[in-house]
Amino acid sequence: MDEAASQLERDHVHSVYERIAPYFNDSRYKAWPKVKQFLLEQEPGSIVADVGCGNGKYLHINDDIFKLGCDVCRPLVDSAWGRGHEVQLCDGLRLPYRDGCFDAVLSIAVIHHMSTKERRVRAIKEMARTLRVGGRIMIYVWAMEQKRRKFEKQDIFIPWNPNPPLSPALRQRGNGTQSVSDDSASSDKHRKVRSISSMVDEGDLISPGQQKQQRLWFFSRSLDSVLDFTSLTVSRSSSSSLQTPVDEASESRSRRTSSRGLIRQMSSLFSSSSRTSLEEDVFISDPNEQVHKNDNRSSGNGNETVPVELVHDCSAVPLPDLVSYQRDQSTCEGNVEVDGTLSQQEPLQRQESTASLLESDGMSGQSSEQLKDSCLRYYHVFREGELTQLIQNHVDELHVLHTYLDHANWCVVAEKVQVWKV
Amino acid sequence: MKLLTHNMLTSHVKGVTKGYPLIIKATEVKVNELEFNSQFVSRMIPKLEWGALIQAAEWLGQSQDLPSTLIPDYEKDEEFLRKVHRILLEVEVIEGSLQCPESGREFPISKGVPNMLLNEGE
Repeated sequence: MDEAASQLERDHVHSVYERIAPYFNDSRYKAWPKVKQFLLEQEPGSIVADVGCGNGKYLHINDDIFKLGCDVCRPLVDSAWGRGHEVQLCDGLRLPYRDGCFDAVLSIAVIHHMSTKERRVRAIKEMARTLRVGGRIMIYVWAMEQKRRKFEKQDIFIPWNPNPPLSPALRQRGNGTQSVSDDSASSDKHRKVRSISSMVDEGDLISPGQQKQQRLWFFSRSLDSVLDFTSLTVSRSSSSSLQTPVDEASESRSRRTSSRGLIRQMSSLFSSSSRTSLEEDVFISDPNEQVHKNDNRSSGNGNETVPVELVHDCSAVPLPDLVSYQRDQSTCEGNVEVDGTLSQQEPLQRQESTASLLESDGMSGQSSEQLKDSCLRYYHVFREGELTQLIQNHVDELHVLHTYLDHANWCVVAEKVQVWKV
Repeated sequence: MKLLTHNMLTSHVKGVTKGYPLIIKATEVKVNELEFNSQFVSRMIPKLEWGALIQAAEWLGQSQDLPSTLIPDYEKDEEFLRKVHRILLEVEVIEGSLQCPESGREFPISKGVPNMLLNEGE
């Protein structure tokens, strides 16, 4: 069980991050205000660990404290080190730090990549171990309750959308005019699609019908209850080709092989989605960008129609060919309008919604072809109260102080307390 | 890897009870000048395993005659704090390894980053 979970995390968390690490760009991901605040509140001279630091986007905050970061992904850690941060390579379940050595610990967007409850508890316990009594931990995990995204299951695979690195053009977008189509550089189109998608959790204006159309995810059964990976399911079978029961022969193969086989089949159907780039709504908080994106949203309620032929074509062609369906014919605004139209076209079948996911996807040529096989990231999305209960029921040495929803994530701040063992 | 980080690191190999401090085997060490902040250093000192810090500095030939037991009233001794500042924050191991004192397991350090990943079952 644990071995299977570990394998899943290697295939669908660690190796994905290794592949996509080059696409991470620090300037694109803004620190969340509440995380920044947490770091700024630490006493001068505090020692703080960011467990799962990625490329170290929080390690530059507050010069009066000593921060170190660790992550399991070598390229991200190297990138953090390159920017002058103090980092180590390690596993979140086996932290190489002595007991009680940290005044505070950050765990931002990490625990949701652990594929069983037992591992999530272990990861939290391990961080609590390194915290001194009285020290605080801040944990963020992706929430199941989101304004726009609707998850049918808690254990899901999210395709990652490779995008070219940020250029200065993006920084200017929020200022002044909002005419997106002025900017015709093809690489910028991808970026805009990403930035539009970053507004998804701000979507108060989304109709229930549109929400329905947002269910564009892979679902698996929980690993906690289903040990056999061959039973991973795609609950939304969009076309005949999406119904990919594991063939009989694979049953005889090792679990690992068949799980990979199935996942490969799945990932060959979906490459990625602009809408699913988690980091967007997670990290961008630049008000200028939000203004800009809001404008895009409103322009997206226009009357353009979905290019239906394209939709059908997309569902039929194998993925590598789909790359040729780059949105030459549709500007960035066009993509927004695809979104808007979806909400108005209730009769659209699953097939279309799936295909338009592909259509509106911001793939970037060859790199996406290379990446498509490995870019399904595993997440366990948390229900309201789940993280708090996990801590309260399983981690005695942590006392939950606050819990709240922030940027589509559940956050818990907890303090380490002395536990007297009898 | 700074020695302040080394002070926090411990061997986490299964079954090991005395995995601290990790033995430093450095092949490349760098000293980066950093702005001295006496308050920062004074506040850091009580959080340290002092003996391990001095040991680490000695392995790198950087101990600057710092005492193996912490002196009283160090907060007021700027010369002392400057030496501690140097070994805590300025001295960095770029290449080499960390060795578990009990199991002998070596963790490589490359490009300044200690690789503390364990293999399955370790």
